[in-house]
Amino acid sequence: MMKKNLLTATLLLFFTTAFAQDDQPGLKKWYAPDHVKLQFAGNIGFLSAGPGYISRNKTLETDLLFGFLPQKYGGDALVTITAKTTYSPWRIPLQNTLNIVPFSIGFYLSYTFGPQFDTKWPSYYPKGYYWWATSFRPGAYIGGKAGRDIQFNHKKRKAELYYELGTYDLLLISYVQNPKYLKPWKIVNLAFGLKFEL
Amino acid sequence: MNAPFTNVLKNFSVYAVLISGLVSLSCNGIFQYNPNQVIFRDNEKNLTVKNIERIRSVPPEDTVRFILMGDTQRWYDEAELFVKSANSQKDISFVLHAGDISDFGLSQEFKWVNEIMSGLKYPYLTVIGNHDIVANGSASYRKMYGALNYSFEHGNNKFIFINTNSREYAFDGTIPDLNWLRAELRNNPENKNAIVIAHVPPFDGDFDRDLEVPYSQMLADDPNVKFSLYGHQHSFRNEEYYKDGVQYILSTAMGKRGYIVMTTWKGGYKAEQIEY
Repeated sequence: MMKKNLLTATLLLFFTTAFAQDDQPGLKKWYAPDHVKLQFAGNIGFLSAGPGYISRNKTLETDLLFGFLPQKYGGDALVTITAKTTYSPWRIPLQNTLNIVPFSIGFYLSYTFGPQFDTKWPSYYPKGYYWWATSFRPGAYIGGKAGRDIQFNHKKRKAELYYELGTYDLLLISYVQNPKYLKPWKIVNLAFGLKFEL
Repeated sequence: MNAPFTNVLKNFSVYAVLISGLVSLSCNGIFQYNPNQVIFRDNEKNLTVKNIERIRSVPPEDTVRFILMGDTQRWYDEAELFVKSANSQKDISFVLHAGDISDFGLSQEFKWVNEIMSGLKYPYLTVIGNHDIVANGSASYRKMYGALNYSFEHGNNKFIFINTNSREYAFDGTIPDLNWLRAELRNNPENKNAIVIAHVPPFDGDFDRDLEVPYSQMLADDPNVKFSLYGHQHSFRNEEYYKDGVQYILSTAMGKRGYIVMTTWKGGYKAEQIEY
């Protein structure tokens, strides 16, 4: 039950932030996020959602995503918090309301909660016995986006649908050492997401 | 409700249908939700029971030949070469994997190793290694293979698989489970060869120091135990470590490209080191 609530909370977080009305349009607090994202898969949860910021030239996005994987889909219920940064150098306008971002590249660092995951290994291990942390996971991805201007709350906002092809450190190391068995598609996974400008 | 909002909702339901369709594809692994997810296809589950059934479907001969190998951890290319070499051996009944199937305890690694081991002409059985317990590793092991301690009989032999990775349990005195081992050794009315298989050998620093003597003594006190099989140290070893009548045989890691062909019969055995 608790687990189901967490999934609902992830969605709620997304929608409340997305549809929250500005009290004073045009006067944003400095910490007010520029957009919210909702992502499916990508090793940071079944669904993840959270606020994000974009650089003034609109090429660099930084997001904080709260992810959840329910027991039913994951074999274990896992809560993950992720910081990710995406660089999208080109934006191509198609029609008056449509645009395409052909290429994005980014990286993330995720943290998964749970007593079975370690950041600092317990003292009963000799130093360096295991060299990696099981709680933190750095990863990288490439992808693209398609965006559209929509009218919402009497304001023009941009909604974008993005995809990412990603991998993470432990799979990358395995890949480098096993070029025959591990073909690139074996270590790459696909994610989809929605971005709403606020 | 204003029109744009209904549109947004409509779009969302389209996405929802799309996503749920894609979720059904996700068992093929294109979608990953967490490195520590414990997701397996049906043909990747409960392999210990399934493979014991396969082994038992062939009537045993008086002499049984099997392969001892281990430590596939992050050595997939070498593991594929092992499968090739193992398939060229004669009269093998099954392969025993002495643990450290995975390196990081990830379900993805377990799947890869199972895919490679499925290329064997023979069924294979496993015992859990310390790396297989890391993070959600033991949950993955349980789902894919089954119990951490188990046994089965084949011909004149009783094979006993036991989790000896004491360090992963903070040396709390429960691993290896000596009460379970004692019961398994006692429950051998026909006095078959009792063959204990584990990952960490008792003389290794990762084995509970307080349990080393009771464990080795238990094996030495049982006349049905002539030898015992391990991995973990990434080197071959074949010695009567405690000078107590029990031979400790270790297979090397896949990275060192070696394994052992074991031959057992009533009252005797032979261990051949193979390098490939």
